[in-house]
Amino acid sequence: MESAENQTPEPELVAGFSSIRERTIAENSLVILLQGLQGQVTTVDLRDESTARGHVVNVDAFMNIRLKKVLHRDRRGRLTQLEDLFVTGRNVRYVHIPDHMDIMETIQGQLAKSHRVRNFAGGRKEYAKKKS
Amino acid sequence: METEASIITSLPLGFPTCLFELKMHIYLKRQQMLFCCTTNTVEEPLDLIRLSLDERIYVKMRNDRELRGRLHAYDQHLNMILGDVEETVTTVEIDEETYEELYKSTKRNIPMLFVRGDGVVLVAPPLRVG
Repeated sequence: MESAENQTPEPELVAGFSSIRERTIAENSLVILLQGLQGQVTTVDLRDESTARGHVVNVDAFMNIRLKKVLHRDRRGRLTQLEDLFVTGRNVRYVHIPDHMDIMETIQGQLAKSHRVRNFAGGRKEYAKKKS
Repeated sequence: METEASIITSLPLGFPTCLFELKMHIYLKRQQMLFCCTTNTVEEPLDLIRLSLDERIYVKMRNDRELRGRLHAYDQHLNMILGDVEETVTTVEIDEETYEELYKSTKRNIPMLFVRGDGVVLVAPPLRVG
């Protein structure tokens, strides 16, 4: 299923994000926490009442999630092993957060990462908006 | 146009506050720290949810689901992070012979859950009556 918000990827301007637009969307919502989950094993409950448990490869600003080494359980309980699974953001119902994760630290870490990249990218004026 | 929104927190963050000209709509409460950048008054309906941060809440969701848990964070889409959450799924089964409706509910407990906002119907303090 295609999300209306998806766009053709622009050149990599900042780490992990395809565009400034995506980064803005992500930094202004809780998706930034999901992006901090990259590399962890979690369970994603889908809208169709199936679940997928695996390593989070990537989460974008639209909550599209890419998982690898996945155990997919459909609504009837049938298990399927999958090497790679892409879930559209719209189809996510829940994401289980691993117990050991500190939410504040993860979000702060994610924001720090994007700020570091921003400052590293030669102090581009478009990012540094002055107070009016 | 709203001036830039900086992340206001009582703890030192260790990185420069963000320079966006947009409002930071992430509200987190950890112990006594408020991690947000808006006023303290209740101005819009989302501010009412802010009052419930770190409290137990009841969330009614689509597809006959209910969640009861502690609200740790939310955003403008009503994506939420709930802790110690109990999910109740209610199903109706129709008895073939008598045609009476049997309401069944299934519960499960999840320690920490991220909920996507488009499934949320309403948010309320926990109901007193069963």
